[in-house]
Amino acid sequence: MKEKTSRSRLVSIFLSALVPGLGQLIQKKYRAAIAIFLAVATSIAVVAWYGKPAWYILPALIWLWNIWDASSLPGGKNAVLPILLWLLMAYGIGGQVTEFNLRALVENSKRSKDIVSAMFQLDFTQPKTEKKEGFTDIQSPCSATPPVPDRTVNGVRVYVVEPCATVNQTITVKGEGFWPNTPTLIYWQNPIGGKAMDAQVKSDAQGNVSLEWVVSPYVHSTAPDPTVPQIHRIKVSQSRPIGGIELSDVGGYVVQGIYETLALAFLSTIVGALIAIPFGFLAARNLMTGNPVTTAIFLVTRTILNIVRSIESLIIAIIFVIIVGLGPFPGMIAITIHTVAALGKLYSEVIEGIDSGPIDAVKATGASWPQVVRYAVIPQVVPTFTALTIYRWDINIRSSTIIGFVGGGGIGFFLWQWIVLQDYRAVGTAFVAIAVVVIILDFFSARIRERLV
Amino acid sequence: MLKVEHLTKVYPNGTVALKDLSFEVPDGEFLVIIGLSGSGKSTLLRCINRLIDPTEGKITMDGIDITAAKGAELRHIRRQIGMIFQHFNLVKRSSVMTNVLSGRLGYLNSWSSTLGYFPHEEKERALAAMTRVGIADKVHSRADALSGGQQQRVGIARTLMQEPKLILADEPVASLDPVLAHSIMQYIEKLNEEDNVSVICSLHYLDLIQRYAERVIGLKDGVKVFEGLPSEINRAKFKEIYGEEAQDMRATALV
Ligand SMILES: Nc1ncnc2c1ncn2[C@@H]1O[C@H](COP(=O)(O)OP(=O)(O)OP(=O)(O)O)[C@@H](O)[C@H]1O
Ligand SMILES: [Mg+2]
Repeated sequence: MKEKTSRSRLVSIFLSALVPGLGQLIQKKYRAAIAIFLAVATSIAVVAWYGKPAWYILPALIWLWNIWDASSLPGGKNAVLPILLWLLMAYGIGGQVTEFNLRALVENSKRSKDIVSAMFQLDFTQPKTEKKEGFTDIQSPCSATPPVPDRTVNGVRVYVVEPCATVNQTITVKGEGFWPNTPTLIYWQNPIGGKAMDAQVKSDAQGNVSLEWVVSPYVHSTAPDPTVPQIHRIKVSQSRPIGGIELSDVGGYVVQGIYETLALAFLSTIVGALIAIPFGFLAARNLMTGNPVTTAIFLVTRTILNIVRSIESLIIAIIFVIIVGLGPFPGMIAITIHTVAALGKLYSEVIEGIDSGPIDAVKATGASWPQVVRYAVIPQVVPTFTALTIYRWDINIRSSTIIGFVGGGGIGFFLWQWIVLQDYRAVGTAFVAIAVVVIILDFFSARIRERLV
Repeated sequence: MLKVEHLTKVYPNGTVALKDLSFEVPDGEFLVIIGLSGSGKSTLLRCINRLIDPTEGKITMDGIDITAAKGAELRHIRRQIGMIFQHFNLVKRSSVMTNVLSGRLGYLNSWSSTLGYFPHEEKERALAAMTRVGIADKVHSRADALSGGQQQRVGIARTLMQEPKLILADEPVASLDPVLAHSIMQYIEKLNEEDNVSVICSLHYLDLIQRYAERVIGLKDGVKVFEGLPSEINRAKFKEIYGEEAQDMRATALV
């Protein structure tokens, strides 16, 4: 008896040394066997992929532990040690691969302070201003007969003393008829409309402006051939507050973006809910498991809903951005699809939870399937359906914001651009606007849902 | 005439709810089914209109095989069989009118009625049915705004819309107080007498059985243990049906 135990112990030790977990397997410790095998296999695979041989020490230790464990069967050893080893491997390698670097959080605090303080200077409105503007066209580089750079529009004259502009030489820009003693912006626009240079001056008491300007080589940066003369434009403009406030440019985009996002969420919720209704009925166990055909439909519908529901709407959005291009439309398709799947499932659960009494009663009158649905099922589910749909609208507003990030239109799209352009005032403004809208809608949707259920 | 032959029902979980049950119900009879809770009364009534599919046996009405019917034929049979439930089974959020009209669905075009259209004469018929059971003033109330007795009368009006040959009543008064119970039973009795509708009704209280039943069938664990006149139910029979420890008001009512 005793001899037999020690022999089977030797066999387990040998087998475990050969293949981790095998000894445990023949001792019928199935769970331990699988766990040990997977632990060794995964850690070897990860270390091999990572490519630093020193790390093989960890799977080797787990392997050794497995032999030690086999030697003490059928009792087995406490599994804390191999679990710790495995976690060490996972976190050690995982941490190096993702380059996690806690110091970065602290080192960059100066930069983050600037960003955060910019984000609190909301750029939603600006003081109303009026403008006084003039411009003249000027040739650069010079040809033999350049057009005269002197133009008067609405009583505002802008001219350049020199007939044309040569790079690295000084030109004198003059303006007449501006507001006196007012800051004035002078702006060089290259032939394709981009800004090449700008300068800030102040008009004198007579409303005259004057600037000595060195022409930077940068004005030709977009020219295919900088030796060919082209027409550039010099703009001179003043603006001054006239009291009152208006939406700033960013404010205008925020309003437009929020509006787009709300419309997108609203449309896709409505469309999605309408499509989800038939799916909800087809996926309801209590209605569909009467005969084999409907049971098959039920199973297929439910499986499709479950699969689609588990695909993040962001991913669907990316796919549709590729197919139909940037803008709110791919975002709408993505959210609609996700809404159909999510609401279809919820609707089917509502239908499964209804009172079967009225269904029996209406069936017993000889009613057909559509009649039973119309008179016994729908009246019971409509209030809950409505509440769920409103709740879904809430969710969709949030996800359509995110979907904008991948080109799905709406406020998210603007937000993404502002982040890339590092316009943190605009980013902060968009954050606040989104938060305000979400809170307000949350409040109302909670109120409506309370009354429905 | 309704004929039940060798009816057996085994639920998917293995419960044998009815075992080789046979009986007949002549036209115009008021038959009462009695038996302990769980003895198979509801199962029997639901097999008759096929809300439950029997496992074995055959049920025929005027020679037509109910157990073999499918689809349109089954719906055709069902519309001739009214059903009244213990818990009324009204659609609570719908109006009384809609609940009563739903009793007519088996006669109406499936699609137009699904879209909510009911011909004018059907609404008249519904009003007449409600007047008959004394709830005409509640036409526009929501069903759940009514008292229990009123709700059961809506249930009866719904059944009336079917112009049934047979009414199945599954403990129609078990959720009502004794006074209301009699008033509801009287409406059913009136249908039985005036319209010559056969009634199969499961009941618990002996005074109601003695007062309304023409004939009684007793079930115990799905087996028929008694068939006869209500006057034949004495203390011994009662104990046989309800078990030795029957001590409640059903028994005391016998003394
Ligand atoms: N859907 C079902 N699945 C499995 N067993 C069931 C089902 N419905 C009823 N039963 C069982 O069948 C037997 C008969 O039930 P039934 O409801 O017909 O009795 P009953 O006489 O109507 O009882 P009660 O007076 O409580 O209404 C009981 O044992 C019950 O547990
Ligand atoms: Mg019952």
